[in-house]
Amino acid sequence: MNMPRPMDEKYKMLIGGQWVEASNGKTCTAYCPANGEVLATFPDASKEDVDKAVKAAWKAFDGWKKISPQERSALLLKIADLIDANLDKLAMIETLDNGKPIRETFGIDVPLGSDHFRYFAGAIRAEEGQAVMIDDQTMSIILREPIGVVGQIIPWNFPFTMAAWKIAPALAAGCCVVIKPSSSTSLSMLEFAKLVNDVLPPGVLNVVTGRGSQAGQFLLDHKDLRKLAFTGSTEVGYQVADAAAKKLIPATLELGGKSANIFFPDAPWDKAIEGVQMGILFNQGQVCCAGSRVFVHEDIYDKFLAQLVKAFNSIKVGMPWEKDTVMGSQIDQNQLDKILAYVHIGEKEGAKIACGGTRAEGNGLENGAFMKPTMLVDVKNSMRVAQEEIFGPVAAVIKFKSEQEVIDMANDSEYGLGGAVWTKDINRAFRVARAVETGRMWVNNYNNLPAHAPFGGYKKSGIGRETHKVILDHYTQMKNIYISMTEEPFGLY
Amino acid sequence: MIDSNTQVEEIMKIPGVVSYFIENRVSPITCSGPFPQPLGKLLELKKVADPDAFIAGLNDFLTERGIELKEDNE
Repeated sequence: MNMPRPMDEKYKMLIGGQWVEASNGKTCTAYCPANGEVLATFPDASKEDVDKAVKAAWKAFDGWKKISPQERSALLLKIADLIDANLDKLAMIETLDNGKPIRETFGIDVPLGSDHFRYFAGAIRAEEGQAVMIDDQTMSIILREPIGVVGQIIPWNFPFTMAAWKIAPALAAGCCVVIKPSSSTSLSMLEFAKLVNDVLPPGVLNVVTGRGSQAGQFLLDHKDLRKLAFTGSTEVGYQVADAAAKKLIPATLELGGKSANIFFPDAPWDKAIEGVQMGILFNQGQVCCAGSRVFVHEDIYDKFLAQLVKAFNSIKVGMPWEKDTVMGSQIDQNQLDKILAYVHIGEKEGAKIACGGTRAEGNGLENGAFMKPTMLVDVKNSMRVAQEEIFGPVAAVIKFKSEQEVIDMANDSEYGLGGAVWTKDINRAFRVARAVETGRMWVNNYNNLPAHAPFGGYKKSGIGRETHKVILDHYTQMKNIYISMTEEPFGLY
Repeated sequence: MIDSNTQVEEIMKIPGVVSYFIENRVSPITCSGPFPQPLGKLLELKKVADPDAFIAGLNDFLTERGIELKEDNE
């Protein structure tokens, strides 16, 4: 099947309800990582453009914060409907820009996005403040007010879904947004902006595009933002936290991981085999919470491994727009080089390649950044391939004997984002899930990330929780109205 | 010639350069894209013990492969 081309050739940014080019005329180019073809151009925003966007957001804020929860909810539901009505186009554009297979963008990424808007549309209708009598004559009222204009930066691994994770709660809370997608994957965000520009008042949502060192840094440095939100690497997370601290504003951060996918002898077998693949092959392993350390109990190690190798070797790596492709392209050649470098490091450290370990070629794949599903075995938890985030379809398989041993190894990581325990023993499931120091522990599943269940990291994996109404606290601030109903002076002065 | 003020984004335009970084325990690219600041800042963040040696090694790596950093003319 030839590569489809549903996208525009040229995109502009959305600032104050208007489509604009960069003030200095600079552009970036979007490429399809599966074949290197140019997809489109989009602006490389200047400092002036970012400033315009923040000003437009503040101009819109006065009106947007006063819109009733009922009206805001209706708008969010309309946005969800628009996403669903444009599923085919959004999914294909995401696939071509990112390299991930169409079966994932169509079945998961875009639908998760629309559901996010539906979830928060419902959440805000049930939000209430509090009132209490401090004493017979004194009342305390607690209200939550939108924090203001927020700056958001999202990564290239789930561009559309991450946009929904950021925008839906911010708008639901009554904030106005300036968001910057990754310069590697800006197209689905810009297509989304085209859909909602007729729905939202001008300036409520502003999209600036461009390089991290330019548009991204200008956004982080802007003095008039009231909050920063970031999903990406821990290294850049430090920069975002620093930028927020300098302005004394809050930041929520969803950062990197090296999560433990733990398999006990009584794991539901076939589902567990799928669970390894869900953990490390989904999105070509380019997932912050990927189950990249696979801990297998010694009693099932040989048999489990043999079946895993068979499963990994039968994965169809192919052009991402083809319906039967299970694994598409990595985001670009640099990322592929990084993955291959880690495989080489793993071998030097003493691990062995049970399958994969090289780039995927043949049938035109050599023109793209394709990697074979890879399993490193005989891995020790102290090896670099078990401690450092590879961000590719490379499972580091580690044998364990006891529950306490695997808990200790799972926790021997600077990260704490995700993880899973596979067992039919409910007591063991709860013991392990509670003992592993991560924000999310799946039990007998992996990489399910719906709204309604909070997601976020411990340790160096981040601050704050998303995909749940608790994020509304981060986009609002607490106002206490303290009322004295007496008319006589207190007698102090 | 790369120095501590060279933007990591520019360095990442050089094919094959990522392997030098990974071998030397510095990841210049992540799901955020290339680290969005100068090389010196990245090395400081990664607590590289001898940033000058890292940078000298990087320049040698490129020289051995006949690669030069192109100026960003945009």
